[in-house]
Parts: sequence; C-alpha cells; structure tokens
Amino acid sequence: MSANALEVRGATKTYGGFTALAGVDLTVAPGEVRALIGPNGAGKSTLIDVISGRGANISAEVRLFGTDISRASPAQRRLAGMSRSFQRTSIFPGLPVRQQLLLAAHRMGEGDVDELLGEFNLAAVADIAAGLISYGDQRRLDLALALVGRPRVLLLDEPAAGLSFEESKHLAEHLRHLAARWSVTVLLVEHDMDVVFAIADRITVLQLGRVLAEGDPAEIRANPDVIKAYLGSAA
Amino acid sequence: MEADRTGGGAVVTVPGLLLFAGFALVGPAAAFLVPSTLIQSLLTQATIYAIFALGVGILIRQNGMVSFGHAAFFGLPAYVIGAVLPLGLMPPELIIIGGLAATALMAFLVGLVIVRVHGIAFGMLTLAIGQAVYEAATRLRGLTGGHDGLSLDLPRFLFGLPLKTFQQPGSMLIVTWLVLALMLAVAFLFAKSRYGLLSEAIRDNEERVRFLGYRTLVPRALTFALSALVTAAGGVLFALYNAFVSPETVHWTASGSALIMAILGGASAPWGPVAGAFTYFFLKEAVGSFTTHWLSIIGVSLIVVTVVFPAGLVGLFDRLRPGNRSQGAANVG
Repeated sequence: MSANALEVRGATKTYGGFTALAGVDLTVAPGEVRALIGPNGAGKSTLIDVISGRGANISAEVRLFGTDISRASPAQRRLAGMSRSFQRTSIFPGLPVRQQLLLAAHRMGEGDVDELLGEFNLAAVADIAAGLISYGDQRRLDLALALVGRPRVLLLDEPAAGLSFEESKHLAEHLRHLAARWSVTVLLVEHDMDVVFAIADRITVLQLGRVLAEGDPAEIRANPDVIKAYLGSAA
Repeated sequence: MEADRTGGGAVVTVPGLLLFAGFALVGPAAAFLVPSTLIQSLLTQATIYAIFALGVGILIRQNGMVSFGHAAFFGLPAYVIGAVLPLGLMPPELIIIGGLAATALMAFLVGLVIVRVHGIAFGMLTLAIGQAVYEAATRLRGLTGGHDGLSLDLPRFLFGLPLKTFQQPGSMLIVTWLVLALMLAVAFLFAKSRYGLLSEAIRDNEERVRFLGYRTLVPRALTFALSALVTAAGGVLFALYNAFVSPETVHWTASGSALIMAILGGASAPWGPVAGAFTYFFLKEAVGSFTTHWLSIIGVSLIVVTVVFPAGLVGLFDRLRPGNRSQGAANVG
C-alpha cells in the first residue's frame, strides 16, 4: 500500500500520429498542492485529462492512495475520491445552482449543499438557472461541483481561467485554505506564475509532453532549464 | 416550482392537486356538455394524439432529443393486440398490458444503442427504425394484413366495461381524457423526481454528469423507454377506438405530426405538447373547412412559432407571467 495520494506512471496521449504526452510519471503526496506549469502545448491539460480518464487514445497507470484505478471510468474515479474541474466551464445551464449541487451531493451520499454554497459565495444565486448567472459565479460553481463530497484528490484545470488578476489571486488563496481544511490533495494547472508560486507546495514543469523539472517553488525559480524554456520567455 | 425537486419541499402541493383534479374533470365535463358527436369525436382524436405528442415531448424535454420515429411506438401495441388477440392465448386485458410492456422494453433495448449518438444522427436513426416498423407492417401480410390494415376483433367487454364505451366518442372522450391526465401526472412526477433531474443534467452536459460519478447511458435509455411507453398508451386507445390499425398509423408522417404538436406547444413543460395537439387539431378543423390546403397553414404556423416563440405555447405563457421562470427558453436545450 503506497502512502502517495496520487501516483501516475507512463501517462501517454496521442492524436493521430502526434504524441501530446510521452510517458509522464508523477507522484503527489497526501495534502500537497502541486502545480503543473509549462508553455502552451506542453501537455498540462492533457495530463489532467489522462489522469481523470477523459478522452480517447490515452493510457496511464494511475493509483489513488495505492488503489489502481487505471481501468476505472470517470464515474468510478469520482466515486473512488478523484474529482476534477474544467478549463472551459462545465456546468448545467438549464438547472438552478442548488439543484445541480444537490444532484452531485446525492451521488456522494450527502444531502446538504449549504456549506458549499457558502464557501463558494453562491448562496445568493442558488435558485437561479446556472446559464443566467455571471461568469465568475459559473467558474466557482464549476469548482463547487468538483468539491462536492470532499474528494481526496482534486484535479484543477486552470480554475481561474478568464478571471481578473484580483479574482484569480483571491480564488487561489481560497482554494489553498479549503484544501488544507478539508485535507484535499490538489494537482492544478495554472498560467499565472504569481498564483503558482503563492499556493503550490511543489511544482512540476512540463515541456513538449515530458517532465522538464520538478521541485519546490524556490528550486523551480532557480532552475536554469526552466528559466530558459519557460520562465525567461514569460517574463 | 423548480426548487421543490430535491430541496425538501413537497412536490405534490394542494394547489397542484386541485389544478390536476380540475384538469381531469375537463374531459368528462366536455363529454356531457358538448352535444355534437362530431366535436366529441374530434376531441377524442385530439386527446389520443395529445398522449402521443406528450411522449414525444418527454424525450425532448428530458433528453434533449428529437424523434422522427415515434409512430412505431404508437402503432406497435395496436399491432400486438391485433396479432395476438385471435390466438386466444390470454385475456385481452393482459394482451393490452403486455403490448405496452413489450413496446417499452423494445424502446429501452433500442435506446441502449441509439441514444449513444446525438442530434441529427439520432433523429435519422429514429426515422430508420420507424420506417423499418412501417416496412414490416406492409410486408408481414400474414400478421399485419399488409397495406389493407388489420381489423381488431375486440371482445365485448374490456376491463369490465362494455366495448362500446371505447368506441363511442362521448364515453371514449372520458376514457382518453383520464388516461391523458394520468400520463401528464406521470410526466410531471418524473420531471420532478431526482431521476428526472439527472436526465436533464445529462441533456445539458453529459460529460460533466459522468465526472460527478453517474453512469449516463441507462438513464437516457430509460427516459427514451418512458417516452415510448406514454406514446404507446395513446396507441392502445387509438386501437380500441378504431378497432383497426394500418401502416399509415406507423408511417413517418404520423411521427412528424406528433413532433409538430410537441414543438407548437413547446416541450419545456409537460403540458406543452398536449396544448400543441389540441391547437393542431382545431387549426386543422377550422382551416380544413374552407381549404384543403390546411397543411400549409399548419406549416406557416410552425414557422411563426419556431421563429417568434421558439419555446412554443409554453414560452408564450411564461412570457405573459412577468418575472416567473424567465429561464423557460433555456430549458428547451
């Protein structure tokens, strides 16, 4: 029995002849907040998809707290304690906010979503169809849906996509505290380096579908390969 | 209304029950108050097609899918009754219930295959299945009577009622109306159930539902089967009323008419297709009395509805109630 929250071996994804992800290995400790960074096309979102079992032509050995879930469907992974959010907001536009959270909660054996509505500042729009609420509210609803039932491992694909700098910063802080309070292990893709260095315990840098470097924020900041490939060009 | 579903509040309320009881009484009242047999007959036919369209509407509302082949489910129980009845194997009531169950089971099994595809492709598959049933109805002459159709040799008593109850417009109006009320209640309770909520979530965003831990194929196939079952209930009434079924009953144009009724009425509330069916029949009757080209008028009204009121009569109704359920249009999917 492994003590790691998440263990990924040989994560691979191909599109036709193109290899988007070439056998990535990743290990995340319980309670850790791990950030995935890298230039566009490095395979960050693809890695989240492969780990969560989304899409075709994917392969990876995935262990969740030691349990092999490599062959599990997305639904089975969710029931096993792995949850994810989406870069392109993925909610139910025709359903009121509370209804969709309740639907998610029911599957996790919970009957109450008031705490989540409060945590994500959605109480005021709880009875409005999600297609009619603001973009910021929709982003937080996407996250709230992923956090129903307090998953053990949470995969976040650019949770702050499309939000302003202030909103991103605030959301990152909030996620950091929530993860600690609810003991959720987090793997997140994020473009904003300020956010990443502020909330990540460790950082994995991807480039062209492979791991370029891994370490704590200070190590990554000082790594010459990373500076050359990514940080230098971003600055 | 929406908040009742899983929010702990009662789904069945006193005003709701009163409204339902009032609705259930409209048919019997009309049967006694309308003296003209002609109008009674028209109302009876409209009620039967309202049940047909209600089934089509359930599929649109809960699954977001449009069927061009529901006439197959309308005609199938009629053919089952016609084919099995002469064998004298079991009581006719059991054959009727068996015909309904067989139709729902067939729809579920077919659904497991065809609900995997979406949009136009799904529509084409339903069309293909509908036409396959039509072809079978014309070719299997021994069973179906081919193009000549099949007369149903019904017994003198059914469900304890004399057969003429089902074949005289006045009494049949009461029977069909009560079945319609029952089917509306089923559609309403299904929409308000957690399962109905799940099917709407799948309609909106199937992938996210999977990532919330739900399997999605079986719920979609079950909704398809429920939709077919409601339509089949209309088909049974059609068979009893006419004591006759022919390939026209399962032809795709019949599916098309039911679809027009559902869209005319709007599928975002269960009562929409029902209102659409009555509008369709009375438009047909009113226009048909001074021109044979009544279908063109139906066509024009359909264009007007889809352009001006995409949510049909339901959308119009919602718009007339300011501040109430402004998301009506978003629900159509």
